Amino acid sequence: MARSKFVSLFKSSPLYDFLIPFQRAQNQWVARYIIIVFAIIVRCAVGLGPYSGQASPPMYGDFEAQRHWMEITKHLPMKEWYFYDLQYWGLDYPPLTAFHSWILGELGSLTDYSWFALDLSRGIETNDLKSYMRITVLVSELMVYIPAVLMYTRWMGRNYNKASPIDQTIIAAAIIYQPSLIVIDHGHFQYNCVMLGLSLLAVVNLLEDNYALASIFFVLSLSFKQMALYYAPIFFFYLLSVCVWPVSRFNPLRLISIGVSVVVTFALMFLPFIYQGGFSQVVQIIVRVFPFDRGIFEDKVANFWCATNVVIKYKNIFTQSQLKNISLLLTLAGIAPSCIAIFLKPTKSLLTWCLSSCSLAFYLFSFQVHEKSILLPLMPITLLLNEVDSDVISMVCWIANISLFSMWPLLKRDNLALQYFVLGILSNWLMGNLSWVRMFLRKAKIPVTVRELATPVLPHNLFWKLVIIGSYSAASLLHFLDYYQEPPAHLPHIWIIANMVLSFGCFSLFWLWTNYKIVQKATQKLKAN
Amino acid sequence: MAATLLKILLFPAYFSTDFDVHRNWLSITKLLPIDQWYLENTSEWTLDYPPFFAYFEWFLSRFVPGFVARDGCIELVAKGQFGIPTIFFQRFTVIASEIVLFAALQYYVTSSSNLKEKKRNFVVASSIVLSPGLFIVDHIHFQYNGFLLGILVLSIVNAKLGNYLQCGFWFAVLLCFKHIFLYIAPCFFVFLLSVYCLNTQSKLPTTFSELINCVRWKNLIKLGSTVIAVFLVAFGPFAYYGQLSNVFQRLFPFARGLTHAYWAPNIWAVYSLIDRVLIQLTLRVPGAARIISLVFNKIDYERLNNAGTLTRGLVGDVEFFILPNIKPNHTFLLTLFYQLLSLVPLLINPTFERFIGSMTLCAWASFLFGWHVHEKAILLVIIPFSFLVPFDRKLLPLYETLTASGYVSLFPLLFGSAEWLLKTLLTFVWFVIFSNSFNEVCEFSSSISRRVFILDRLNILYIVGLIPVCCVLQMIDIQSRNFAILKRFEFVNLIVYSAYCSIGVIGSWNMFSWLYFLDDSIWDRRIKEKEKTL
Repeated sequence: MARSKFVSLFKSSPLYDFLIPFQRAQNQWVARYIIIVFAIIVRCAVGLGPYSGQASPPMYGDFEAQRHWMEITKHLPMKEWYFYDLQYWGLDYPPLTAFHSWILGELGSLTDYSWFALDLSRGIETNDLKSYMRITVLVSELMVYIPAVLMYTRWMGRNYNKASPIDQTIIAAAIIYQPSLIVIDHGHFQYNCVMLGLSLLAVVNLLEDNYALASIFFVLSLSFKQMALYYAPIFFFYLLSVCVWPVSRFNPLRLISIGVSVVVTFALMFLPFIYQGGFSQVVQIIVRVFPFDRGIFEDKVANFWCATNVVIKYKNIFTQSQLKNISLLLTLAGIAPSCIAIFLKPTKSLLTWCLSSCSLAFYLFSFQVHEKSILLPLMPITLLLNEVDSDVISMVCWIANISLFSMWPLLKRDNLALQYFVLGILSNWLMGNLSWVRMFLRKAKIPVTVRELATPVLPHNLFWKLVIIGSYSAASLLHFLDYYQEPPAHLPHIWIIANMVLSFGCFSLFWLWTNYKIVQKATQKLKAN
Repeated sequence: MAATLLKILLFPAYFSTDFDVHRNWLSITKLLPIDQWYLENTSEWTLDYPPFFAYFEWFLSRFVPGFVARDGCIELVAKGQFGIPTIFFQRFTVIASEIVLFAALQYYVTSSSNLKEKKRNFVVASSIVLSPGLFIVDHIHFQYNGFLLGILVLSIVNAKLGNYLQCGFWFAVLLCFKHIFLYIAPCFFVFLLSVYCLNTQSKLPTTFSELINCVRWKNLIKLGSTVIAVFLVAFGPFAYYGQLSNVFQRLFPFARGLTHAYWAPNIWAVYSLIDRVLIQLTLRVPGAARIISLVFNKIDYERLNNAGTLTRGLVGDVEFFILPNIKPNHTFLLTLFYQLLSLVPLLINPTFERFIGSMTLCAWASFLFGWHVHEKAILLVIIPFSFLVPFDRKLLPLYETLTASGYVSLFPLLFGSAEWLLKTLLTFVWFVIFSNSFNEVCEFSSSISRRVFILDRLNILYIVGLIPVCCVLQMIDIQSRNFAILKRFEFVNLIVYSAYCSIGVIGSWNMFSWLYFLDDSIWDRRIKEKEKTL
């Protein structure tokens, strides 16, 4: 599987130019720290911008929700956390988020008591509070997500693609500067990096064959945000299958240890609540965390339901519970290929591919999806940058851009347009996707140096070339229309819907492609054996 | 290499988009006729830069788009009322004007003769482009230094290439943009005089005709007419309207105090610190008053008792209570003395290295001893110095100390909590990158024995010490909201910053002067090569 010689696919990128001076062994720690510090700088700079719901009473936005949770967890006894004034941003994430908020609330109150004063602090918007909240996200990311990425690329470099340490650092940088996560966590304001980082740690532990640790990390991730369920089937089937296969060497001990670590971690998360308020607490948490009484989709989101809703009005045809069942069936069908593949062939090289496909299927078909949920499939997809195949790289860059594009309506609402464009350009430029600009400049007789491109921006396949060029031009056209043209009066959301349909098309094509790759890789392996 | 430099163009485009302080001169030049520019005083922020800068603002104001103007960008009011479009527009002009700096540095890099030199020059160029000082001052605090330093670089490169006429031209232009560059004007004058207008090779003149032949009259006239032409273009229109006296009044306001609102880390910061300490001693410690009065004759107790209240408020006008007061002409004489000292070797042996060295020293002297020095002026020392560093390894520790303390001293400019992490990390990462890469490209000096190792260690200790100083001060600042007693330290914070930084700045100045006057091998390539062959 592993190539004998790894050729950096980012050879022509500015990222490579910046970091290559540090390729000497004694300087490599410098390169690693530079990308981390620079990542923090970028995040700080994004953090100077507005956050969701800034200056929009009475409900404000996600920023206020997070702050409010810190406020209630700091002041109330644990048994009231999931019951307190549910109308005003009641806590609706699992226990680990609550504990996380509690610690941050306590720490913040040391600095300024008024930030988290019970009830009195609602809607508080001071600059210092904003900096404090921004720093908490930054520190959480620094402690969980960034080390996880570095560990992942290191493992990949050692065991899979045989990249040299400096190339590993370059790939890690490409993953860390993924714009969507930065703009949602540090612009819009959320703590997705913690959940993604915990899941990623679980993946790293799977790669290292630490199954119990992996399951602990994954349960932690689940109990930080229930959205990590998108990854759950793959983890489940992978862990199951490493215990079961081959049948002759069925490993019950391993199965039990995994099971125990899962149960114990969950129990630890919920025990404080049961201890304080009895079993009804658990029921309340589950009700809060899985709100099935909401509609099939909330906002405009680029998934199957919302996109086909343009043509078929589901709400008029089916009842709520029917819809639930249909979406469940479709989701199961969507995740089936990747789950079967990972169950039959639990190889480490398939793991990231299956995670991508499975979470993308959840995003496309499941119930109650939010546009921010694209971050979940996007995390394993960007990990695919470790592949030694320029086609894969260009596909990943493409889908990363499309997912950023799919969040445009949300970011526009948050006044984060500037950060959206700058981050998009920054990350593409760093990865060398804008090198073609230089070629045009050269053609226009402007003296710039052009180097051989190691990574073509477009994949070799003609079909994908057309798709990618087409989607990019459609996206730019939409941006153009959005800026210059008022939507027609009878269709006020036309641009948003167009954005959504376009992104949906791209996502589903990409989903098909990942399934194709999975099948290809799995059968390749069979033949080799 | 050249390509990477071009790409850096995108870099600041990112950071500068953040919002912060913002000033407003566009309106004056846009709305008023030229003879009113230096009279207008509706707003507190009167136009006090030389004419070219006013022209520049006028030029920019032609480009204000409609929606920005509607936002209140160019209204002539006492206090600007503006929104995001104005901020974006102004920030964009800073970035756009910085192209001059990129172009100048690119010119510098391409002008290098071999690959080794090119690599070295590239490190210098990128250290200037990515300088956290520029980020802090230009893109967050808001000024147009990048653009002006670009012109300075242009004239330095021309000096290096031997285009002395152009060098003089660009410097004259620069002076008409911002008169702070008067700090380094003496060294330009002496350098151009010595290298372009005098025959330095000839022996000392003994007769009158030899004295006349000593001067290359043709060159002198060419250079003189160029410079005068530039000044005519700049000040001509104002002379025509009879506004010259107003212009000069605005440009040189001697009414301001010795130190700026935030103390720049110079001699006077230390001086005022000593004064403050002595005050506290006389007031608090019994017996100390007697000793102090032995040294300084008289203590005005009545003033002293009021001192507590005076110090905490505005620092704009500093009064000294125990140490003798400082007058503008004292500072002027001190500055002049040190500048002249640095100019003498340049007159005798005008090499390019010496020229830059004396430029650094001139800027340094004015920074340390000048009247009402702004801490931003440290950029004027750092930028020429960075051109000098690769010539000799011995200069590197000095450079590190200077940049570390100089950039840290800029921190109080941004007092918001949001930017704290940004500014510290930027400075930190810049420092790590460039102390590494300068280390690689610096030329080793042959006479290593002259390095005093204990000083190197002290240097490192000092630089590392900056980190806890920054962190502790920030902690105090954060916690001052909870503990009333810490509120009293608000001003102490600034004092600590400037005092600690001034140790670095003054220390590296001493070392630099030492090297400048006593170590000829750095300043003349011929001597260096001779030493190497030995």
